[in-house]
Amino acid sequence: MSSVQNIQGNHACALAAVAAGCRFYAGYPITPSSEIAERMSVELPAVNGIFVQMEDEIASMGAIIGASMGGAKTMTATSGPGFSLKQENLGYAAATEVPCVIINVMRGGPSTGMPTRPAQGDVMQARWGTHGDHPIIVLTPWSVQEIYQQTLRAFDLSEALRVPVVVLIDEVIGHLVESVDLAKMNTGNPVERKWADSSQEDFQPYAHTEDLVPPMPRPGDGYRTHTTGLTHAENGFPTQDPEVANRVISRLLQKLEHHNDLVECVNQSDCKDAEIVIVAYGITARAAQSAKQQLQGEGVKVGIFRPITLWPFPQQTFSEAIANARLVLVPEMNAGQLIVEIERYRNDSTRIIGLNRYDGEPISPQQIFNKVKEVLQDA
Amino acid sequence: MSETQIRLSGSGGQGLQLAARILVSGLALEGRNISLSQSYEPTSRGGLSRSDLVVGSSTGYPLVSAIDYLVILDQIAVENSLGLIKNDSTVIVDSERVDSPPDGAHTTISLALIQTAREIGNVRAANVVSLGVLAGLSGICSQKSLLQAIRDTVPARFIDLNLEALARGYALVSAEKSKDTQLTAVS
Repeated sequence: MSSVQNIQGNHACALAAVAAGCRFYAGYPITPSSEIAERMSVELPAVNGIFVQMEDEIASMGAIIGASMGGAKTMTATSGPGFSLKQENLGYAAATEVPCVIINVMRGGPSTGMPTRPAQGDVMQARWGTHGDHPIIVLTPWSVQEIYQQTLRAFDLSEALRVPVVVLIDEVIGHLVESVDLAKMNTGNPVERKWADSSQEDFQPYAHTEDLVPPMPRPGDGYRTHTTGLTHAENGFPTQDPEVANRVISRLLQKLEHHNDLVECVNQSDCKDAEIVIVAYGITARAAQSAKQQLQGEGVKVGIFRPITLWPFPQQTFSEAIANARLVLVPEMNAGQLIVEIERYRNDSTRIIGLNRYDGEPISPQQIFNKVKEVLQDA
Repeated sequence: MSETQIRLSGSGGQGLQLAARILVSGLALEGRNISLSQSYEPTSRGGLSRSDLVVGSSTGYPLVSAIDYLVILDQIAVENSLGLIKNDSTVIVDSERVDSPPDGAHTTISLALIQTAREIGNVRAANVVSLGVLAGLSGICSQKSLLQAIRDTVPARFIDLNLEALARGYALVSAEKSKDTQLTAVS
């Protein structure tokens, strides 16, 4: 019998979390992410996991950090207004290197904005929402199937690299129901955290290991450890010594680059010979894909560069992808956010053009098609 | 099988999301791949509500761009679909709540969907009456699968009501076909 089922993006996210080994969820329901909490409240008790509806988003973020320090794989889900509230504790997770997964199903903003309308306005917030230089990974799926795959991957990356991972979903695909075969996508082999097993005597919770990811002390194993958001030395205690601060913050910031082979994930098609490359993510990339088929039918040399790992931005791969392109089009459901990053990696001969919409409606394939025709005519 | 785009639209509370879920459940029984999206206001009643279905997508794009079958249960939903109607679209409107259906070369069928639901005892069953009309006209899903889908989807105490609503929808199509030969060609 076929294992294809019709499933909503938000539900696929919850199922992937449980399949990845998530056993603790704390959250405060908010449109358009609420189905994730609802589904987790059903799925987690069935696997002896814990679901807590917290008093707010700040506490939710604190709870998943605490539970993760206790040894669990943890997740919370929210939308823009809640994501704002989580930022302080998100910075704490990045600084203390506590694995956790945060789902943000984006709705129209700013502020409480348009609760039931789609947007992609949290791209910069996902990267820079919390203060200070910090590592963070942000993944942007474009389908229900990919929500499942990237949620699985979010847990694997978070556990392997001790870094918070944000899955940035737009309302359209969060609420989209598609026919998918989830059984085929679950490798059943989730990554497990690297636990400390060295001598307890001189244990350094933030040791400068070769892979830049220090093993975590598991509660109950007997390690004495200290965790703080203050800048801390390898021994876990606060320091403001410039030399030590430079060393420990540098390790923190180099961690993701060091593991770029794990972190980077790009889907690109026909970029090599393209005259115009469309850079898109989420539902907007689906529209771009549809427009591309139509444009290629008319002989336009068009490629698509889709950064599934949006942050850290895959700069090297991107620079190579646009090497031969005259034009780069960046359609986004915001006033122009990723385009700012893209501007940094342009060639002198490449023109970068935005296509932006923030009225609560998705960008259609036709809009992208028309824009490409327009800019090719001008160029 | 070719791609079919369907929109069920009206005002919040008319059961459009549920009707779409029933249709998706019926299509699943027939092994059809679908994409279902929706839009509604942050209120439990009122405001534009729509449920869009792409059956057997040919491009992989999951949202509707040119609707084949459009159901409108409230005037509030007319404007939103204007740019998505083609010359060969079929537009099914409720005769009571839609005063000015979309203009154009497409086929418009105005039926007493809400009144029919009222006659069987619950005005809220207009969604499933509409589903019967939609399925009867389009043949997108068999009546057998839809009957099963209602049993699988709807709370137990409302199953009989919805089964009757579906049958009344099909009956409206039969009655319409018998007086309009053009419609026979459409189906």
